[in-house]
Amino acid sequence: MPTVRLRDAAEYPPGAQRLFELSKAWFNHDFGQPPAMSRVMAWDPEFGGPHGRAMKRAMSQGEFTRAEKEMVAAAVSGASACEY
Amino acid sequence: MTGDAVWYEAAQVVGITNALNVAADALGALGMVEDADAPPETRALFAEIRAFYESPDVPPAFRLIAHDPGYAADVWAAARRAYADNRLSRRVKEALAFAVSLTTRSETGTAFHLGEMRRLGVGPRGVMEIVGVTQMFSSYTKIADTLQLEADMGDIAPVDWSPAPGGTPPPPKPRAPEAP
Repeated sequence: MPTVRLRDAAEYPPGAQRLFELSKAWFNHDFGQPPAMSRVMAWDPEFGGPHGRAMKRAMSQGEFTRAEKEMVAAAVSGASACEY
Repeated sequence: MTGDAVWYEAAQVVGITNALNVAADALGALGMVEDADAPPETRALFAEIRAFYESPDVPPAFRLIAHDPGYAADVWAAARRAYADNRLSRRVKEALAFAVSLTTRSETGTAFHLGEMRRLGVGPRGVMEIVGVTQMFSSYTKIADTLQLEADMGDIAPVDWSPAPGGTPPPPKPRAPEAP
């Protein structure tokens, strides 16, 4: 069970709603609620904003494809024993 | 990256990389087997490893476990299978191994797989891309763990219903009886 109560998207201010739309576009998937991590990162836009931009910059197509990078991210999560 | 086969390959790379790093980083006290002291089968094994990596050096992990030649040969066979070109390219597999080594703070593994990435043609930009992914997801995983977030993105990819290699497809599931 999460340490914090994850707020529904509707409980966030308009600026965060924009982040949720970007998240939806990034994953190209229609979530019932934005993923828990998106809602966590939207809690403090001054942290979540630049963190999210750094992630998108790292994950964008370059020498490696986005799909290859998603696999690297999964490997990092596996090596960190992170279930999320 | 659809289908399970590529994910099995990725998991093999993650696993064997971790296994080799465990030996390379922590088994120094055992001492390395040098060619001059090695029996013929171990020298042959080292020659095969050098050929695979196109290098005059044998990675320390294999020298450290070569005190048991049969064990070292089996570990090498698994490692060669994991790192060789297959559905995933060797280049991508080295990127995975680099990310895993960096995540687990293996200096030996990080240096080795960085060298392999470069040898296989990954440029400075590509290296920084993998550094970026590794660093950002090292952050996400710790945030998720601290807040004990539950996985909620498992249905983003379709299920692969194909059988195991050489196997047969699963039998069709019985249909639920229709309502009268």
